[in-house]
Amino acid sequence: MISSDPKQVKAICFDRIHIENQTSLNIARKNGAYAFLPTVLKDFDNERIVDEVKKSGLRGRGGAGFPTGLKWSFVPRNTGKPTYLLCNADEGEPGTFKDRDIMRFDPHLLIEGMIMAGFALGVHDAYIYIRGEFLHEANVMDAAIEEAYAANLLGENILGSNFSMNLTVHRGAGAYICGEETALIESLEGRPGRPRFKPPFPAIEGFYRCPTVVNNVETLATIPAILEFGGDWHAAIGVPNNTGMKIFSVSGHVNKPGNYEVPMGTSLKVLIEEYCGGLQHGTVPKVIIPGGSSTPWLVAEHYDTPLTYDAMMKAGSMLGSGAIIVMDETADVIALTRRLAHFYAHESCGQCSPCREGTGWLERVMTRVENGQGCEEDLTVLHDAATHMAGRTICALADGAAAPILSLLKHFPDEVRERLMEKAA
Amino acid sequence: MSSEENVCFSPSRLQEIDVLVKKYPGKRSALLPVLHMAQKDFGYLSMPVQQLVADTLGLRLMVVREVVTFYTMFREKPCGTYLLEVCTNAGCMLNGGNELLAHMTESLGIQVGETTPDGMFTVTEVECAGACAGAPVVQINNAYHEKVDAAYIDAFITKVKGDQL
Amino acid sequence: MTTLFINEEEVTVSSGTSILEACRKQGVDVPYFCYHPELSVAANCRMCLVEVEGWAKPAASCCTPVGEGMRVTTQSEGLSKDREMIMEYLLIHHPLDCPVCDQGGACKLQDYTEEHGAEHGRYKELKRAVVDHNLGPFVSTCMTRCIHCTRCVRFADEIAGTGDMGVLNRADHMRIEGVVEDALASELSGNLADICPVGALLDKPSLDVSRPWEVKRHKSTCTQCPQGCDIVIESRGDEVIRIKPDHAANEPWICDRGRYVHDAFRADERILTPFIRASGLQAVSWDMAVEKTVSLLKGKRVGIVFSPDWSIEGLTAIRLLHDCVFDDAKVAFDLHRRDMRPFAFEEGFGMTPKQIVDANEVVILGSDLRQRLPILMQGLRQRSLAGKPVTRIGAMNYRTNSELSADALIRPREWPAVIARAMQQLKDLGKTAEGMDAWLSSVSERHEAGKLLADALLSDSCALLVGEEIRSHVDAAALIHGLDLIARASGHGEEGRDARNLIPEGMNASLLSAVFGDVRTSVGDLFDAAHDGELDALLLIGSDPLGDGLFSMQAKRAMGKVPLVQIGAVSGQVSEYADVMLPASAYSEVEGTFINMSGEVRMAEEPLSTVGDARPLWKVMMRLIQGFGMEIPAVDMNEIRASVQSYLPSLREVWAEGVDHTWRMPVARQRDANVLPVGVNPAMPLDVISRYSMYREGAWVRASASLIEAGNIRALDDVLVHPNTLKEAGLTVGECVIRTASGNYTFDVGVRDDVVEGVLFIAKRGVAGDLSCEVMASLGGGQ
Ligand SMILES: Cc1cc2nc3c(=O)[nH]c(=O)nc-3n(C[C@H](O)[C@H](O)[C@H](O)COP(=O)(O)O)c2cc1C
Ligand code: SF4
Ligand code: FES
Repeated sequence: MISSDPKQVKAICFDRIHIENQTSLNIARKNGAYAFLPTVLKDFDNERIVDEVKKSGLRGRGGAGFPTGLKWSFVPRNTGKPTYLLCNADEGEPGTFKDRDIMRFDPHLLIEGMIMAGFALGVHDAYIYIRGEFLHEANVMDAAIEEAYAANLLGENILGSNFSMNLTVHRGAGAYICGEETALIESLEGRPGRPRFKPPFPAIEGFYRCPTVVNNVETLATIPAILEFGGDWHAAIGVPNNTGMKIFSVSGHVNKPGNYEVPMGTSLKVLIEEYCGGLQHGTVPKVIIPGGSSTPWLVAEHYDTPLTYDAMMKAGSMLGSGAIIVMDETADVIALTRRLAHFYAHESCGQCSPCREGTGWLERVMTRVENGQGCEEDLTVLHDAATHMAGRTICALADGAAAPILSLLKHFPDEVRERLMEKAA
Repeated sequence: MSSEENVCFSPSRLQEIDVLVKKYPGKRSALLPVLHMAQKDFGYLSMPVQQLVADTLGLRLMVVREVVTFYTMFREKPCGTYLLEVCTNAGCMLNGGNELLAHMTESLGIQVGETTPDGMFTVTEVECAGACAGAPVVQINNAYHEKVDAAYIDAFITKVKGDQL
Repeated sequence: MTTLFINEEEVTVSSGTSILEACRKQGVDVPYFCYHPELSVAANCRMCLVEVEGWAKPAASCCTPVGEGMRVTTQSEGLSKDREMIMEYLLIHHPLDCPVCDQGGACKLQDYTEEHGAEHGRYKELKRAVVDHNLGPFVSTCMTRCIHCTRCVRFADEIAGTGDMGVLNRADHMRIEGVVEDALASELSGNLADICPVGALLDKPSLDVSRPWEVKRHKSTCTQCPQGCDIVIESRGDEVIRIKPDHAANEPWICDRGRYVHDAFRADERILTPFIRASGLQAVSWDMAVEKTVSLLKGKRVGIVFSPDWSIEGLTAIRLLHDCVFDDAKVAFDLHRRDMRPFAFEEGFGMTPKQIVDANEVVILGSDLRQRLPILMQGLRQRSLAGKPVTRIGAMNYRTNSELSADALIRPREWPAVIARAMQQLKDLGKTAEGMDAWLSSVSERHEAGKLLADALLSDSCALLVGEEIRSHVDAAALIHGLDLIARASGHGEEGRDARNLIPEGMNASLLSAVFGDVRTSVGDLFDAAHDGELDALLLIGSDPLGDGLFSMQAKRAMGKVPLVQIGAVSGQVSEYADVMLPASAYSEVEGTFINMSGEVRMAEEPLSTVGDARPLWKVMMRLIQGFGMEIPAVDMNEIRASVQSYLPSLREVWAEGVDHTWRMPVARQRDANVLPVGVNPAMPLDVISRYSMYREGAWVRASASLIEAGNIRALDDVLVHPNTLKEAGLTVGECVIRTASGNYTFDVGVRDDVVEGVLFIAKRGVAGDLSCEVMASLGGGQ
């Protein structure tokens, strides 16, 4: 059970994932799932829920960190069109694997969060867009949803209230870009996942041009706790403007890679050393990518940075989805950059010229550089081609593609030059 | 498996599709799920299968073509009985993904993307599978296998080959 | 309205306008590739970046709406560098083949490279290889040049409505492809080459023929259908290279028929010099040919058949010839009309295309509108995309590129009952017009399709588009009168609210009624008269009754009997019968005035020089008048126009003040006659309909190799019926006997289930062309 004393908060989203068979409705209910839902349906209304979420200071866990309550308050009411709630379970950002655990171990938490969010927003049809590769997770979700329908937690007049909502799991088919919310909407409409330009924002014109809210799995899974214990309770966890718990997916050269849900503000170093069993080699990391492969790199000097949106920004990076990729002194950062360049060149949706052409160009130059066939001019080309795609495209994939290149050039120019010399010698 | 001519969905599939379509505000939304079904039923999405999907949902063939070619999980060519997809993205790369991939192609005697002559194994390289704590990750026919090493794969290959005999 | 600042200048535009459109309005140049004013915004090229004060990053101006007080900068060092880089991205895979590319010199990519690009590209890696597609006779592809702006894909989706272009794959494997490998299904496909900003989609007929800087542009009018689009003819020397829409005009698109007909201007079928028949046709001087003409026609009873597509100056000159020389000659020009009673001639539109597109209700009555008026159909498509209804009543589910809100299939013999049903409904609601009762009581049957018609008329604004099934009906005048009655009864009859738009055969309908109203007769009657010895000679002026219309059989009979003088620009099958041929200039080669179906005046002002010895029609007419020893009534363009003004005084101001697109000739409406349906004698079970094909109809089209090729791709069977019709007759697809009043014919009969049962469709200009004059038939087994 979650304690209202922040110091004793063990976890929010992961509180019950270790319980065996938590996927089954009976067991989940025994452990408190849906216990507070009747109260929400009876005593809460739209305004109160949005207020609590605003008060909680919850920021979107999908990557952008946009305040969730604020996002919900943008949704126009009484437009005569339906409002849709879409759960972003595409989890494609390299390094991220947190949403998967919520879905495969505690699907009812997500369902409960979605019912509450749907109730707040007046949603009748909600969808979970799950990446195609997560077949097992989709099956778990489907089974849980079926049980929830049977228990009248979904469908018409949920638990005897006036509120009705359907929930459908929709599988993607292998495209990182579909995690971007407007690409997700396109994909859910049966099209290639090519992001839409904004405005209009999805809150006004999203799925089938109707008001739409897209939220990450972790974001939605946090909602039940916020409503049960109050926005203030949540706001007291973490540090101001960066409240609550956050799941960090730690991978790379650590001894105990995995998901760790810790209060916001915990230091990077504490997370790696106390939770993840430290580095595989040496004592100080060579590179830390703090928020998924699309975020700029941090190096040894940033080891102590607190895990908050603001502190990461100040350190020159972003908290992103909380996917921390750690590299120790043995890492070949050039090979890694090449590999990430390949990823973005493979995943660009292809519509914006800078991203379509730039990502491929960067990959090809990086491949040459990695093989020791580069030249000094390549450094300028890499720099120019990366700089001028970031921020000049419809979505932020191009920014993500530029980040590793620019980070490499910024932090390791000598290592790159050495590699150029290698073949010359 | 698909015979090129005259492909059609089974009556129960069609019923399933009918139910599915109703879950969305527009039937076009059912395209991805129906393509997954078609790929399951026919092994891969040949042109006749794509046409079948287009006709079933009342969409233009070009609409289906655009979607099939955009998403990496949709295949226009047949693949082996066992599709081995190795992640080599950051997390897996740092924990031996590339070496594992090299071991697999070498021991099966094929290049990445190819199928063994007996039609049993296809090996491909994929992007981050979203399971980096279990690096390196291999998906075998869409089931995740984590912390995979050469011995694990070799054992798997020996086992399924044995089952065949 | 929103006020913003563009490069420090205050600009006010309507809210929701994009920054790019605000800049364009202000005459501020912002480079772009993917933006197109007629297409949805894609915002994918990222060339249109501008800076907005206070914004961290440059904004794509095409997809960013203006904001109050916004300060936009379109030139800065940062933007220059961005544009330079975007050019570099776009060029990494682009071939360096500008010198051999048709687009070179008119290419956005080339222009912007000059303007914004770096000295040289730095890309050293492998270039992408791309395959080309065969997109049919009109569009050639060179996909390595594609910059993926998706204009063509949006065009195919949004304008053509065929959706046959698409984007396959993603990232830099992304490629544009046409799904139809042998032909684009659109009659607007030629516009693809225009909208492609680079040399990826090019005009196939003019491929490798010229460079943009070599061509001269001539503003003109297309006379290939009554729409009369404004065109620009591009020529090198005297040779027409291309025809394009005039972008300064109303319509951004033209159809393939109007665009690709130009190879006919130089075709072998062009009549280049005067000919007379001695033993075979012999080229002779004008003097000799005129002399021969005079000897054939002088003092004779002459029948004149002409094409309505000449300029109005030329047409009026025909009337002058008539008045000076053949005072009592019969004149005919409508190859599709059987019924010559009053009312049948009130052709032309009471509404402008824009009014039609904007009306609450549109009903297409018996027309294959997509073939007949592709540009108007395109307007209706935009209308139905916007959720407005389009209803159709007719004998076939003619393919449209737009959704129809209601569609009723009826046989031609059911038209009176359809109109009567609508009339009854209006009458029951107390809406009547004088003469309605008499009309109503002359028709005993009622057909439910009439409800669609009446419901549409009950709306505030409504457009009836009356097509070829009604124009060529034996009861055409009565049907048109009936439509006039219900339009009036429902308040859609008066000028300004006139819902009845009768699609004319060709251009200049309103002029033809005014100038020839008192002397016109039916083409069929005229040919019959020649055959029956009531006429001594025929004069055909641009008309090809063997290739077009309903009367090829009568025409053949008549021309086999009496001498024939042919005046025109293209020869055709008619020439086999001609005793004299006089060359007249093509529409591309004359200065002249045209009136389109909605009464709008169009001018052709900068003609190409004429090929061979041809002369503008009005000069040919004057030359003949002189040859007959009469005084020439007009010696120059001004005098000819003075004659035109004696029929249509209002044209004076048009010529005096220049063409203004708001000026319209009112449609003539006469209301004093009462024409009642005579009813069809149902002696035979099948109604015969001649189908219009935009790739086969018209002498110019048949002289155009590329349109003939297109026609072959889209060819239908010569004779079509519904499968049930065939089954009822106990027959199967293939050779059948068609029994008609004039005899029995054997043809291959095909089936389609989108035609109404009980109708025999004739695809014209096929071998079955001769059947066109029939109204009814029955089917029998093959031998
Ligand atoms: C290229 C790209 C990929 C993204 N992938 C994901 C993803 O896999 N999962 C996710 O939740 N958000 C992803 N996002 C962020 C979403 O666009 C969006 O901000 C998020 O789903 C909003 O939910 P939240 O407010 O709950 O965080 C991605 C964004 C970009 C630009
Ligand atoms: S930035 Fe890249 S991924 Fe994003 S919309 Fe543009 S082309 Fe697609
Ligand atoms: S014109 Fe704006 S992005 Fe292409």
